[in-house]
Amino acid sequence: MQPQSYGDFSSILHQKMGDQRAPLNVTIETSYRCPLTCAHCDNNLPMADRQARSSELSYQEHCRILDEITEAGCFWLLYTGGEIFARRDFLDIYTYAKQKGLLITLFTNGTMISPRIADYLTKWRPFSIEITIYGHTRETYEGLTGIPGSYDRCRRGIRLLMERNLPLKLKTVGVSINKHEIWDMKRWVEEDLGLNFKFDSMINPRIDCSQSPLATRLTPEEIVALDLEDPGRKSAWTEHTQASVDRMHLWADGDEVYQCGGAIRSCSIDPYGKLRLCVLSHQDSYDLREGSFREGWEDFLFQVRHKKRTRLTKCVACGLREMCGMCPANGELENEDPEQPVDFLCHVAHLRAHAVGLEVPPHGDCEYCEAGEHYPELMRSLAALEEGSAAEELASMRNERSSFLPVLSEEPAAAAGACGSGCGSCS
Amino acid sequence: MNMDTKYLNQAHDVVTRRIAGETVLVPVTSGAADLNFIYTANEVATMIWESFDGQKSVGQIVEIVCSEYEVPSEEAAKDVIDFVAALEAAGLVRSDPDRGR
Repeated sequence: MQPQSYGDFSSILHQKMGDQRAPLNVTIETSYRCPLTCAHCDNNLPMADRQARSSELSYQEHCRILDEITEAGCFWLLYTGGEIFARRDFLDIYTYAKQKGLLITLFTNGTMISPRIADYLTKWRPFSIEITIYGHTRETYEGLTGIPGSYDRCRRGIRLLMERNLPLKLKTVGVSINKHEIWDMKRWVEEDLGLNFKFDSMINPRIDCSQSPLATRLTPEEIVALDLEDPGRKSAWTEHTQASVDRMHLWADGDEVYQCGGAIRSCSIDPYGKLRLCVLSHQDSYDLREGSFREGWEDFLFQVRHKKRTRLTKCVACGLREMCGMCPANGELENEDPEQPVDFLCHVAHLRAHAVGLEVPPHGDCEYCEAGEHYPELMRSLAALEEGSAAEELASMRNERSSFLPVLSEEPAAAAGACGSGCGSCS
Repeated sequence: MNMDTKYLNQAHDVVTRRIAGETVLVPVTSGAADLNFIYTANEVATMIWESFDGQKSVGQIVEIVCSEYEVPSEEAAKDVIDFVAALEAAGLVRSDPDRGR
């Protein structure tokens, strides 16, 4: 018998699995309700949303699903929201999952973590806890969350977990409101707290098709300027992109819409028991209240995963795919078509590739490649980045007072922001 | 160790999983084994692990190993004792307080 680190075990297990489909990684969204009202969030609903609350899976339903996913081979489980602690019985559900021998990661905003919860997690220690912080200063943090007092509650949650030496990581999402504080957050987390920090600047529409979060998106120039400001991030993108280009022939040979690990190694379950390929892809879902996980995984998701593409787009043979956020779910959310390239993501990927010095291989009729209609604009952005003006702009923004965006109303977001086209994501 | 008077139980806070043909022992609460590790067991180790039910002595488990795998008893005894020591060090088994006195 050998003790193994989780990382080693994961590598060996994935290697052993080969081409075999198994839901090793399952994400369960416990509730879309959340005490915060972040403008960039893709699924949050008010805490008092009675319809949402009454539609959520019961404790018994959660236990049945946990029995079934464990039986099917799940080993890593991610609980996310909304806010996981929006459910008063979350710790009961969590404990049942722990007793199944699942390695559990918790995504939370940290604002509802009390000494009681922290003590409980000390006994029933999770694999990992990740808290998203929304700003370095109270003004910025609460400008994004829309909730006075949330900054102090989040900081208290972080402190409670750190005092108990729980496996905590912090992260942020770079948006227009907090972009001037990203490096302050990084310094605070890494140097003052001694924890791991990561950030991402990719914002997608709400799962109900509302495009409202896109108002908080950074511009492509701002996103790439952030990459260039961090030497580690820049070199990681360079290596990642080269590897991506080297593997591009593999994607071009495939004829399926989905090229990710969704429904091969992973899947997600929403608060109402809908089984999906991932948390973002909402067009196809299987109701776990009507059937078993095994049926959903083996039959329904198998069919979804092997959908054939209907046409050749510029993404099919694009060597930048792995450095681009484009995936069928993003196409679905932004264009109501999983195969339709998302212009914003294409813009960012091409700018990033040029900025790290990579020649973009030809990949069909692309607006951001040479001779494309957006190419001159891309080159102007690149020149500005290279001159450092974008970085200077970011630096100057650090001293500006942030302009706060309006937060979500107390009305259910689906009613306020659904696309109205009758697409699967809205129904 | 007196193999005939030593009875072991699997620690109550360790869950046994079968994943991709592997037996994996997962500690679930603090105070059990080191939560920073998981433990994988091969076929023989799995058979021994499943024998820790508080009803069989370590000596009886050695006899089972000899019988199942046709190995000399001295060799089986050494392997089982080494395995038990590793499990005890990792906090994965508990001596049965009501047996072996």
